[in-house]
Amino acid sequence: MYARDIMSPRFHILSPANSIAEAVKMFHIASVEEQKRIFGLMVIDEKDQLVGMLSMYDIILFIQPKHIHVWSEIEDLEAHAIFGELLDRVKSVRVSDIMTTNVVTVKPQTHVMAIADLMIKRHIRRLPVVDGNNVVGVVYISDLFYHLLEKFL
Amino acid sequence: MPVVSTRDILKGLLVEEAMRRQVIQLSHDVSLDKCINQLIKFKVNALLITDETRCPVGAVSKTDIVGAFYGGLPIAESLSMDIMNGPLITCFPDDELGVALDLMRRNGVHQLFVQGAEPCAMVGTLSYSDVVALLYRYCRACPKGAVRRSELTDCSDQTQLLIVRDAMSTSVISCRQEDSLARVIEGLTAHRLGAVLVQDAKGLPVGVISKTDIILAYHHGSSLEVEARSIFKAPVASCDENSLLSDAIRHMFLKDVQRLFAYAGDPSRIVGVLSLSDAAHIRSGSCRACITSRIIAAP
Repeated sequence: MYARDIMSPRFHILSPANSIAEAVKMFHIASVEEQKRIFGLMVIDEKDQLVGMLSMYDIILFIQPKHIHVWSEIEDLEAHAIFGELLDRVKSVRVSDIMTTNVVTVKPQTHVMAIADLMIKRHIRRLPVVDGNNVVGVVYISDLFYHLLEKFL
Repeated sequence: MPVVSTRDILKGLLVEEAMRRQVIQLSHDVSLDKCINQLIKFKVNALLITDETRCPVGAVSKTDIVGAFYGGLPIAESLSMDIMNGPLITCFPDDELGVALDLMRRNGVHQLFVQGAEPCAMVGTLSYSDVVALLYRYCRACPKGAVRRSELTDCSDQTQLLIVRDAMSTSVISCRQEDSLARVIEGLTAHRLGAVLVQDAKGLPVGVISKTDIILAYHHGSSLEVEARSIFKAPVASCDENSLLSDAIRHMFLKDVQRLFAYAGDPSRIVGVLSLSDAAHIRSGSCRACITSRIIAAP
């Protein structure tokens, strides 16, 4: 059993020039359309090259205040309103500014056990499947999980 | 004759109590494109640059990136080793915070790398904002501080609270909305500043351009000839010059900004700027109790 057998051939993508607000909307659209929570999206440029990945973690890491430990000690804090103002300040930031650029990929013919090994050792929850220069699918950890543990279903 | 000795309020506080334990490091052969990505993503002032054996060889700061933009270096082809600075300015986890602050000021840097037991092992970073955050937390817990003063039953304590004017710099550098980025960079560099105020044709403050905004413009492919109006951040984060210093520091932390512009009564009359480094040099988060305790007449 190989990557091509368990990958999702449908996937949503982001452009490096998308704003963070556009990326958040795309996460929502992807989750609705795929009927499962999508926590990370591939970033593909105008030449159809995979140039990065953007996860919800990347966005949360970026928007959280640098001194969050000080926030946690201030009891009389209108956190929601202040956080709204902080979000206004990230309007000029694009996906390419905060995406992860060292993307680990697999080939369609990569064995599922090699994929499991990669996901565990590198703490990866989604792996783009690349054939030559083109992305042909993505293997989510849930795809792998249900494939390996199908016997219990 | 009494012997006068000095006592620093930071005495006894060590670097390890304030430092961040995450060190963002990159190889010396990565592109400036990648450097900017990491500076923005992790909100740090400088990156640790390592050689092929993963030993630190220098640092790339936001200032270096701004210089690369001004110098016209191609962002994708230029490498971190082309612009990095070395040798690294470092301190140790068990150094006193006061010593580390002096080291930062002497060398004109906003961030130190904290060296572990091995010369190649950097175990953290220390910036002005980390020091201010620690002091602010102490001040919040101190009964003489601004936050808990209302809880005091003894109202005879007349310790004067520090205000923004006590710590701010009165030298405010500004540019016009129609100035080019090249001109803005020249202003920043000439005055060794982290940000400039942007004014409209009537001289009213309309925004701020920081080094972060400039390196974002570089990352997005902007030219040096674009106008300041295309990248400035609005509104101007500001406070009254008579505001309590502790409130201003809290404001900076909550707004996640490095500086506040200070106005005199009217927000359009900017008279100074308070940065986190100014606040760090005061070495107190809210009142003069800490400052006066530095000079003690010994018996």
